[in-house]
Amino acid sequence: MELVAKAASFLRNMFRRRQVESDLDAEVASYFNILVETHMKDGMDEPSARRAARLEMGGGDQVHEEVRHVQAGAWLRTCWQDLRYAARILVKNPTFTLVAVTTFAIGIGANTAIFSMVNGLLLRPVPISHSDQVVYLIQKHDHWANGFSYPVMEEIRKQSGEAFSDVAAVRPFQMDGLNASGASQPIWNEYVTTNFFSMAGIKPALGSFITPSVDNVAGSDPVLVLSYAYWQSHLAGDPNIVGRQAQLNGRPITIIGVAPRGFRGFAPLIDAQGYMPIGQFAAMQGKMQSPAAAKDATSVLVFARLKDGVDLAKSQSVLAVVARRLADEFPKTEKDLVLRAALLRSGMISGDGTNPVPAIAAIFLILAGLVLALASANVTNLLLVRAIARTREMAVRSALGAARFRLVRQVLTETLLLALLGFAGGAVLGFIGSRALGNLDLRTDLPLVLDFPFDWRVFFFALGAAGVVALLAGLVPALRGSRVDLNEVMRETSRGASGGRSRFRSALVVAQVSGSLTLLIVAGLFVRSLLNAQHTDLGFNPNHVINFGVDAHAAGYDETRGREFYRTLLDRTRAMPGVEGASLAATVPMGPISLGGTIHVAGFPETPGQPKPTASMNAVSPAYLKTMGITLLRGRDIQESDSETAQHIAVINEVMAQRYWPNQDPIGHQFTRDEDPKNPVQVVGLMKNSHTSSLTEAIDAMYFVPMAQDYRAAQTLQVRTSLASSAAVQAVRETVRSMDGNLPVFDVRTMNDALNGISGLLLYKLGATLAGMLGFLGFVLAVIGVYGVMSYTAAQRTREIGIRVALGAQPGQIVRIVFRQGMLIVGLGMLIGTAAALGLGKVVAGFLVGVGGADPLTFLAVCFAMAAAGLTACFVPARRAMKVDPMIALRYE
Amino acid sequence: MGDKQTELLQGTLDMLILKTLALGPLHGVAVAARIEQVTHGTFQVGPGSLFPALHRMAEKGWLKASWGESETKRRAKFYELTKTGRRQLETEKERWKTITLAVTRALEP
Repeated sequence: MELVAKAASFLRNMFRRRQVESDLDAEVASYFNILVETHMKDGMDEPSARRAARLEMGGGDQVHEEVRHVQAGAWLRTCWQDLRYAARILVKNPTFTLVAVTTFAIGIGANTAIFSMVNGLLLRPVPISHSDQVVYLIQKHDHWANGFSYPVMEEIRKQSGEAFSDVAAVRPFQMDGLNASGASQPIWNEYVTTNFFSMAGIKPALGSFITPSVDNVAGSDPVLVLSYAYWQSHLAGDPNIVGRQAQLNGRPITIIGVAPRGFRGFAPLIDAQGYMPIGQFAAMQGKMQSPAAAKDATSVLVFARLKDGVDLAKSQSVLAVVARRLADEFPKTEKDLVLRAALLRSGMISGDGTNPVPAIAAIFLILAGLVLALASANVTNLLLVRAIARTREMAVRSALGAARFRLVRQVLTETLLLALLGFAGGAVLGFIGSRALGNLDLRTDLPLVLDFPFDWRVFFFALGAAGVVALLAGLVPALRGSRVDLNEVMRETSRGASGGRSRFRSALVVAQVSGSLTLLIVAGLFVRSLLNAQHTDLGFNPNHVINFGVDAHAAGYDETRGREFYRTLLDRTRAMPGVEGASLAATVPMGPISLGGTIHVAGFPETPGQPKPTASMNAVSPAYLKTMGITLLRGRDIQESDSETAQHIAVINEVMAQRYWPNQDPIGHQFTRDEDPKNPVQVVGLMKNSHTSSLTEAIDAMYFVPMAQDYRAAQTLQVRTSLASSAAVQAVRETVRSMDGNLPVFDVRTMNDALNGISGLLLYKLGATLAGMLGFLGFVLAVIGVYGVMSYTAAQRTREIGIRVALGAQPGQIVRIVFRQGMLIVGLGMLIGTAAALGLGKVVAGFLVGVGGADPLTFLAVCFAMAAAGLTACFVPARRAMKVDPMIALRYE
Repeated sequence: MGDKQTELLQGTLDMLILKTLALGPLHGVAVAARIEQVTHGTFQVGPGSLFPALHRMAEKGWLKASWGESETKRRAKFYELTKTGRRQLETEKERWKTITLAVTRALEP
């Protein structure tokens, strides 16, 4: 009841203000008159009665104030009052307002941009139904990988019904050629099992999806579902696209639908432009054949939807059982198999057991937070300076009866208003920033999409940042500014900044310098790491190389026919215009498969219980080293003469030579391979190490054998060409098709894609760019901060300086005095900053390449830069101080 | 008011006002006069305390305010107890009894 009454009063006080006020006036007046009457009745004459009454009432306004104080909604009114007053103050000091707002905007903007990235990568759910129930699977034989062979996937699907209601597989990112509008355009297709869309639980934007009714069998309908973005950009959003007959890689298909906007498959970073049934995979690439027949080259990503009531932990235990069963059923291939499920919402599908994204995101949020702190510190300094100018105003208000709380609230309101304006600016900056991040030129053909939209999470984050910043920046100035003694102020002693105040400000600048230094050092580490990664000597030349996967077995060729085929393919490819070189290899660097196994070397001890001697291998075409640009150190390359019937030979790398024939010339030595124990292999060449598995992993022992001596049905054609990739791909596909229209060509990718892609340089590039921007921002803020404080302090000491000059001080001495103070601050800041950077460096070290977390070069370079900047920032005010005219200074009040 | 000798708690003032109005509506001056009279001069409530108290209670719904005519035919704002107000008076009386009992006991030698 009481609440209702109060609410009614609240509303009345808000919307009928004038009525309430005039009513109150009348009541006070009436009270006064009656009071006078009463006094007169008691015998006073009118003037005395009036005087007495007036004394009792106090000032008429005071009664009004008291009532207003207790009225419902009083606090709201005072807030509004504060706001209007704050707005007026800000308008009256445009420079201050502009500087403060800009500083806030920079800090908030940087944080918002970073957060939008974190949001896009980690927090935003993949746009499928109940995305928190969807997991992806990874497996481990000797290292973690996220690719499964199709048969294994099928087995998992059959045996994991306890944990998963559905299991889908995706064969990702084939660069196909789609001809739907007269000319062939490249399209990145995902080949998906037929339950893919039903598992996603989404509805098509146009037409229909691949439905589970279509079998996972070859020869099934050649249908294509387009992504929304591709449909818009490449097919002009043609509304009649559904049912259109088109050609994919020259084969007839039907476009049956368009996926909803924003849906990009299950992996949030990559833009799948089209979806086809996985049964079509072999057909689209060549011969009609069941996908299960293709051997180990098939590599699919596996996704599963958790059953209702099953959580991630339960699914892990189910998977463990499945893994053991598979290991028993297929001991040759699946021994030591470990299976694991991970939640889809992890931003990236990493091939190893860990996901680096959350850690990286945390690091960058911390860095961005530092920038925010620096921005706040700058504004705090500004506010402190202004507070000093307003001491008189505050003192008067205090004397008039304002509670300290009210004064503090007033200053905080101003800061809040500044922060809100900064929020508006920061939101815009953040928006631009996240767009820029999304449009980063990653120099890759892969349809990466860095989509960092500005959704509600980002908006509230920015708002929160503004609030935090307002509080941080405004609290100390508010508290300080309200602690005023009227007497002291009125006496106008202009000692200006009392000792205590400027100590706080100096401490603030020290903090700024240290924060900025930390930022810059971390940024420097990232940049150096990127440079190192980019200039890692790969050991081979990846430029302009395109890989094509070819599988003679899938076309039904036996070994003889296969060898013939590959020989002809190589010749024809080399003869193509625009092709500078071509070679065949069983595996490619950074590729999906790796080969290798146990070897036996005479003289190398093999003790039971110890790991056997192993090496990675590759079977390659003649002149492979020359084609790939791998340096031959001794001996010779693989040649045509190394035929089936000739002596088996191999070219080994330095690691292998060092491990098995240390301090000897390996040429001429022999070893035997477990795969072919009857034919010992003689070493004929030594090649330089090259990175084959990833940019950062250690290089393994490796040997190359001639393809002629180790026939593989599935090979990769590597073509070095000066043509544009899509043109080259077309041409090669044509060549293969002319030789055999049914031969599949798959896993088409440029070498640089593999290198610059997710497992390659992408993270380093992103990291360096972001850290660099943040570092720069922080640096600018810190320099401004130092300069500002130094200027102010120097100006404050003008009188003191004037006296000194009058007493005979030399200009140089003056400069030194001001300078010393400044350098002390900067020096202290740098010390603290270095310590903090060492700490942060340890955390970051795991993500760096070729640089330690305490890399001395980076530390020194940054410290040098900071010192130089600090010096300049101190120097200018110092010089100004030097030019002080003592007469003016002494008169200065 | 403003006398440091007799500090009047806000709640106590509310209670006194409620009691004063229990017998019938009064205008502001009359309320102050009645309180002074009934407490034999101990509590002298000035307008600076009276007004906020009256308005606060009116906003809470314990009192109802309306314009009327004083004994001397002057326009004045009259306050009267509402049903809620009466209930509040009883609550306050109970509370006061409890407090005074406790304090008295505590002060016993």
